Amino acid sequence: MTEQIDKALAREYEAGFVSAVESETFEPGLDEDVIRRISEVKGEPEWMLEWRLKAFRVWQEMEEPEWAHLSYPKIDLQSVSYYSAPKSMKDKPKSLDEVDPELLRTYEKLGIPLIEQQMLAGVAVDAVFDSVSVVTTFREKLEEAGVIFCPISEAVHKYPDLIKKYIGSVVPTKDNYFAALNCAVFTDGSFVYIPKGTRCPMELSTYFRINEQNTGQFERTLIIADEGSHVSYLEGCTAPQRDENQLHAAVVELVAMDNAEIKYSTVQNWYPGDEDGKGGIYNFVTKRGICHTNAKISWTQVETGSAVTWKYPSCVLKGDNSVGEFYSVALTRGRQQADTGTKMIHIGKNTKSTIISKGISAGKSNNSYRGLVRMNPGAEGARNFTQCDSLLIGDQCGAHTFPYVESRNPSAIVEHEATTSKVSDDQMFLCRQRGVDPEKAVSMIVNGFCKEVFKELPMEFAVEAGKLLEISLEGSVG
Amino acid sequence: MSEWLQHAIAHADSIQDGFADQRATSLALLTDTKWPSRKTEAWKYTPLRAVERSSAVFKEESPELTPVDVEGLDFLELTFVDGQLVSMPEDLPEGLTIEMQESDLFTTIKPARHIFGLVNDVLAADVAVVTVAENVKIDSVLRINNLLSNGAQGHIRVVVELEAGAALKVVENAEAHGATLTTAYTEFLIGAGAHLEHYRFALQSGDNVALGGSHFKLLGKATLNSSIIGFGSDLQRIDTDIIYAGEKAEAKLNAIYLLDGTELFDLHANVEHAVPNCTTEENIRGIAGDRSRAVFNGRIHIHRDAQKTLAELNNRNLLLSDKAEINTKPELEIYADDVRCAHGATIAEIDKKALYYLQTRGVSRSQAQLMLSFGFINELIDQMPTAELAEWVRPIIRDRFAQMEVK
Repeated sequence: MTEQIDKALAREYEAGFVSAVESETFEPGLDEDVIRRISEVKGEPEWMLEWRLKAFRVWQEMEEPEWAHLSYPKIDLQSVSYYSAPKSMKDKPKSLDEVDPELLRTYEKLGIPLIEQQMLAGVAVDAVFDSVSVVTTFREKLEEAGVIFCPISEAVHKYPDLIKKYIGSVVPTKDNYFAALNCAVFTDGSFVYIPKGTRCPMELSTYFRINEQNTGQFERTLIIADEGSHVSYLEGCTAPQRDENQLHAAVVELVAMDNAEIKYSTVQNWYPGDEDGKGGIYNFVTKRGICHTNAKISWTQVETGSAVTWKYPSCVLKGDNSVGEFYSVALTRGRQQADTGTKMIHIGKNTKSTIISKGISAGKSNNSYRGLVRMNPGAEGARNFTQCDSLLIGDQCGAHTFPYVESRNPSAIVEHEATTSKVSDDQMFLCRQRGVDPEKAVSMIVNGFCKEVFKELPMEFAVEAGKLLEISLEGSVG
Repeated sequence: MSEWLQHAIAHADSIQDGFADQRATSLALLTDTKWPSRKTEAWKYTPLRAVERSSAVFKEESPELTPVDVEGLDFLELTFVDGQLVSMPEDLPEGLTIEMQESDLFTTIKPARHIFGLVNDVLAADVAVVTVAENVKIDSVLRINNLLSNGAQGHIRVVVELEAGAALKVVENAEAHGATLTTAYTEFLIGAGAHLEHYRFALQSGDNVALGGSHFKLLGKATLNSSIIGFGSDLQRIDTDIIYAGEKAEAKLNAIYLLDGTELFDLHANVEHAVPNCTTEENIRGIAGDRSRAVFNGRIHIHRDAQKTLAELNNRNLLLSDKAEINTKPELEIYADDVRCAHGATIAEIDKKALYYLQTRGVSRSQAQLMLSFGFINELIDQMPTAELAEWVRPIIRDRFAQMEVK
């Protein structure tokens, strides 16, 4: 058994490599000039720059939050470079053939379904290589349906009215420290607009990848599903191995208009740091969606990467009969720390929310669920069900639950339950008795533990998630 | 720092007794502690306006007050009026001693994080120490009365020590006659194999402010059975800490809160499983009516080595009015893997089907509501080990429901 552990501990991060693409990168540091330069490089209109600067001034007044169950050295935001673009992007490629082959190889190594794979999988990828969107495919097919799927920097020019109306409407600039920072310095991200009554013909996907050393990534995603529309969006990420902590502070805003539905799935597998917890990504993400009447937003996440995760995908259930869902598997090992959960704010009548959170802690990691369910006085007949289960593997890890439950409407029903357990000896015995080796047995048990969440994932993601979990758990048995 | 705290500290400086050294320690801690605001996690839902506005004073002369009678029980009474100890039981059973502490006020049971615990450290003048000798089981019930006259401020502190194999029943009783302010902290050291049966009644509703806590430390194989019943007032805050310091100890905590009017009640229950093989069971039920606000925080902390811990917390709430508010936060913090821990929390209104069922049987709607609410609470009252106390508190609770219903 110890041999297996040693082997697994020595295992290198599978996606850990640095691709050699020349980059144009800003000097580290943050002030108004840097923001002006980002805006200039992107050729942004004046209103966008003003919006960034306003956010920057707000951010300067804010303090870094300390309430999470996380401990990490203070981040020096002046040592981060706020812009990096692959050089070969200066002249935009007309087709995939013109794309830097090094870039394509990077994606290939990661197994991103580009070209044929994409056709087979039916996935349109707005791939983010560092800070500039490199390739967007399937644009035409989406255009036919009237769906807009493009880098947000492009949307600023092409659809200024939509951007002006919705950017910062779900996550206001002053929402929190990291969101305000993102507003000031975001470089790129995805923009999606689904017109009224349209069902998006394919699943949309962004592959994030942090590449340049010392480059914080500040993605910004805005998805608007107009009345009666439907979209499923996949987000997955992985980053090459390096020594310095990298900061990632993304903002995702979802707007589901009346009767619309947005399904947002994430598989996050960024570099978690080495066995001493050195290196690894700091992941501070603000994700929130607003549901209008009869709308539905469903967040599904599988979090296995990052040294520090600070992430609470939330739903503001504003419209009557709207539905919010949160399905999460968070796995931490080594010295990883995760403080993640959700917020369900019930405002409208008969709103419903479901929270299923599965936390798995191994090694010397700490895994916390932090959630808020709030029933406002107007949330007549609202309903919430929350289940948080934690599984501990090894006696050096921690599993924590911090749920906030607030109700101000007597007809609203809130139920919260949480359990903690370990992979039981009985379960292991039963598996081994049937000739299943211990590692496989743990993987099976954990997969069973996470089943409720996996079944919410789109097919191709579910496979990836299962595999990810299995790889991550290798050597955790003992 | 609030004006109120400045006054309190100024008053503490004027007290001359054997506690001066320890008082200075707590004073230093208190001066460093930020006055709680909405951003202070432990006071997120509980504003301290009532403390800041309180005009309760330290009285030189206090009227004579007597605690409420409980039929069928002859208590050993330890009575404080306006923070001064006025009576001690005369004939003590063998093995039970009660002394006034002259110095060395502080024990290590009450954690220093409670800001009003520090206030109590610097303001409590009379400190009583109750000791039960080894293997002595006391049949009578010891009642600690914290009585306050109108306009008075009082701060009481009692330390109870059960030596190995001892057994004791303690009732903490608070009665406020008018607009008052009190901090009342009791610390219990439950020795190896000893058993404590504990009750804290905070039934003083109205315009009073009561802050305080009951803090327990359990040594090996010690057992604790604690019941807390609270009505709200301008501000009621009870902190309780159950700290396991020896293996195979067991604790059971039942708590009930019933709120009406604009009352506020806040219960913070913290359990520290610092050693293996201990068991905790917590059942907390609350009802909030009218424009009241209930706050519950139940934290279970399982330390790195506390293997084979069993801990369960169940918090159920009924919200009776659309102006009332319930905020609950059950927390688990777990650092050991071979443990079984669970918590659950619910907030809902009275089951409409059950109401309908009773109405079809000719029970009026309001009567049915009363029956169902009472049933919800009664289950925990039935579990109180001393039947006389259950019989005493039951009609008080029934009256409370009737009063809630009239509105």
